[in-house]
Amino acid sequence: MDKTYLSCLAEFGIGGAHPGGLQLTKKLLTDERFDENTVVLDVGCGTGQTAAYLAKEFECQVIAIDNNPLMVEKAKERFVNLQKEINIEVADVQRLSFEKGSIDVILSESVLSFTDPTISIPEITRVLKENGRLFAIEMVLELPLNAEGRREISEFYGLGQIWTVEEWRRAFLASGLAVESIEVPDLEANSHDSETATDFSLSESIDEAFYDILSKHFVLTENYKDHLGVRIFKCMK
Amino acid sequence: MAKENMYQMCNRHRGKAVMIRTKDGKEHRGIIHHVDNRQVYLQPMNGGRNLGGFGYGYGGYGYRGRGFGLGIALGAIATLAVLPFFFW
Repeated sequence: MDKTYLSCLAEFGIGGAHPGGLQLTKKLLTDERFDENTVVLDVGCGTGQTAAYLAKEFECQVIAIDNNPLMVEKAKERFVNLQKEINIEVADVQRLSFEKGSIDVILSESVLSFTDPTISIPEITRVLKENGRLFAIEMVLELPLNAEGRREISEFYGLGQIWTVEEWRRAFLASGLAVESIEVPDLEANSHDSETATDFSLSESIDEAFYDILSKHFVLTENYKDHLGVRIFKCMK
Repeated sequence: MAKENMYQMCNRHRGKAVMIRTKDGKEHRGIIHHVDNRQVYLQPMNGGRNLGGFGYGYGGYGYRGRGFGLGIALGAIATLAVLPFFFW
C-alpha cells in the first residue's frame, strides 16, 4: 500500500479529518434548510462522519464518494446503523458519474486541495443544478513560501498546488460559480477540549511507517502554521 | 494516590495524542497505546525538533514502535496534556 498522508488518514480511520472537524461542519450547515428533494453530495467523504450527520439531521438525500477504498469501507461500516440509506461509492471528484445539473449541494471538506482544482471545480460545477451550491473548506496559502517549503509541503501531502485565497476565488469564478462568501473559520474554539480531541482507533497491525507520517504531519503543521490557513468558500452556480 | 490518579488519567486518554512532561523536564509526544499499573506506553511522535529534515530524539528511552512503544513510569510524570489535533 502507498504510504502517503491520505492513506495514513484512512489507515488510522480518523473521523472528521479536515480543519475544524465535525464541529465546523455543523456550524457550516446550521442555517441550511434541506428537504427530502434536496440532493447533497459529500465529495471526499472519508470515514463518512459528515454524511452520517447529514442523514441523521436533515431530510435530504445523501450521496458520498471518496477515492480511497479503505475510507469507503469504513464509511459503509458507520452507515450500517443509520435509518436512512446513503449512496456511497469509490469515485474521483475529477471524474464524476452524476448527470449534469443533478446535485443541489456539494460539500468539499479539505478535498479540492488534494485534487487538481482546475479539473475538479469545473466537474463539480457541471453536476450542480442551476442555483446549486458548493461549500468548500480548503487550505490556503497565507504567506509566500520559499521553494524549499513549497516542495516539502507539496511532496508530503501530495499537493499539485497551494493556492492563495485569490487563486481559489479566480478558479471558482472561471468555472462559472459565483463566490458568495469567503470566511476564516474559528478553529481554536474546541481545539483544547479533551472530549472533542481526535480519537484514533489504533490497531496493532498498523505499519510503523504510518506513525512516522503522522509525526511528520505534526512537525509540518507546527513549522508552517503561519503560511498555511483555512477558508470556507461558499459558492453558487 | 497520585500514581493511582495518573493511571486513571492515562487510561481515560487511551487512543488520544498527548504530551507528557516528565519530572526530569523531558517532553514526550505520542498516542497513548497502553497503560498498566507501572507505566504508560506511548506510540511516540517526538516531532518539532528538527526543521526540514525529520528526526527522532528518544533520549535514554531508546526503543520504539515494537510492542507497546515507549514506556514512561507513571511516577515520573509531571504533567499530561491532550494535544489538539489538526488534519487537512
